[in-house]
Amino acid sequence: MDRLPRGRHGLSPEFVARNQRERLIAGLTEALYEGGYQKTTVSMIGQRAAVSKSDFYKHFESKDECFIAAYDAAVKRIRECVTSACEENQGEAWPRRVGAAIDALLKQLSSSPALASITLVEGLRAGREVYDRYQAALESFVSLLHEGAPAAPQGKKAPEATGEAVVGGIASLLGRRVLAGEAEQLSELFPQILEFTLSAYLGAEQARRIVSAE
Amino acid sequence: MRPELPREFVASHKRRRMMDAVAELTAENGYEATKIADIVRRAAVARKTLYDNFDGKEDLFLSAVNATLMEMREAIEAGCAEADSSPEAAIVAGLEALLEFIAEHPAASKMCMLEAISATPSSARLYDAGMRDCVHLLRTHAPADASLPATIEESLVGGVAWILQLKIRRGEAEDAPVLLPELSQFVLSPYLGVGKVVDTGRRK
Repeated sequence: MDRLPRGRHGLSPEFVARNQRERLIAGLTEALYEGGYQKTTVSMIGQRAAVSKSDFYKHFESKDECFIAAYDAAVKRIRECVTSACEENQGEAWPRRVGAAIDALLKQLSSSPALASITLVEGLRAGREVYDRYQAALESFVSLLHEGAPAAPQGKKAPEATGEAVVGGIASLLGRRVLAGEAEQLSELFPQILEFTLSAYLGAEQARRIVSAE
Repeated sequence: MRPELPREFVASHKRRRMMDAVAELTAENGYEATKIADIVRRAAVARKTLYDNFDGKEDLFLSAVNATLMEMREAIEAGCAEADSSPEAAIVAGLEALLEFIAEHPAASKMCMLEAISATPSSARLYDAGMRDCVHLLRTHAPADASLPATIEESLVGGVAWILQLKIRRGEAEDAPVLLPELSQFVLSPYLGVGKVVDTGRRK
């Protein structure tokens, strides 16, 4: 992690503060991945971020507050990556767009196990306030999934719950794999997760056909 | 003179009351905020009785979670066994039994399906084991199909759990049975063909 040059670097206080805050968030995210929430201390976070303890407290009142900021930052990063994949594939048919989004999600998580861990595992274990955020994050992915989703054969739309169940199921599966130490291999699950998602809307046969054609 | 109840009966009844109390209190206020004093008051037992039976709050909590998970699994298995005319019927019956259990035991269900995850590392492990058991149950009863993704049961169980957690969080555990049609559709869709709609006519 790059530390700002010592002494008179001529950078605005706001820039330094933002830089420190980001480093603290990154420091907590990594420390969390390595030792879990109980073992992560403010000193450890500060050490990783190359930020003094007193500077830590300029940004955050407590470890908990830093955790919530880190959680929000992690969700934001993931959502941005999935949203841009959706936008890049806006003209494509729904199954292709969904595939691109899932691919982007899994690549992002695999390349950053600490990000995967804080959002999918630690977030669930940190109490009500963070659980609320986990829930909100999943809900936002449901809207992305439903955009342009096909009507069911009888012309009826798939129930709202379908999207919720699919997103909840994927998050649960990924969380379990992260817990098992397999975060770096998450992108290998792409075909299975795509088939699972598509079959909830299109049925098993069509889902399988689309996935094997990819 | 009052006939004396057998000691074991009284003892196990008190244990039950303590486990019910911890379920109710953690469902109401969360694990952290629940204190031993609250538990013994709700259970109407002496503090000594709690410590005679359990090492402390966590031990009691883990026992309660474990007992509820076992009861939940028994209910699901009994449902599946009653309706074994086809894999699809067994799955729907198992789901129905789970939803009825949640409706009948809202506090204990909330304890297992929500509080247990964040209370302590050991309770989170119990929750994970419970999920593994459900995955195994689904694998056992589902139609055999080698071409399905290996992770399909985990995804389906995870999805059902999430829908139930949302429902419980909204304070609607007693209404869980209304979810049967949509959850059945969701769980069976990888196993059914296109356009087939699941019949969830109640078996009772």
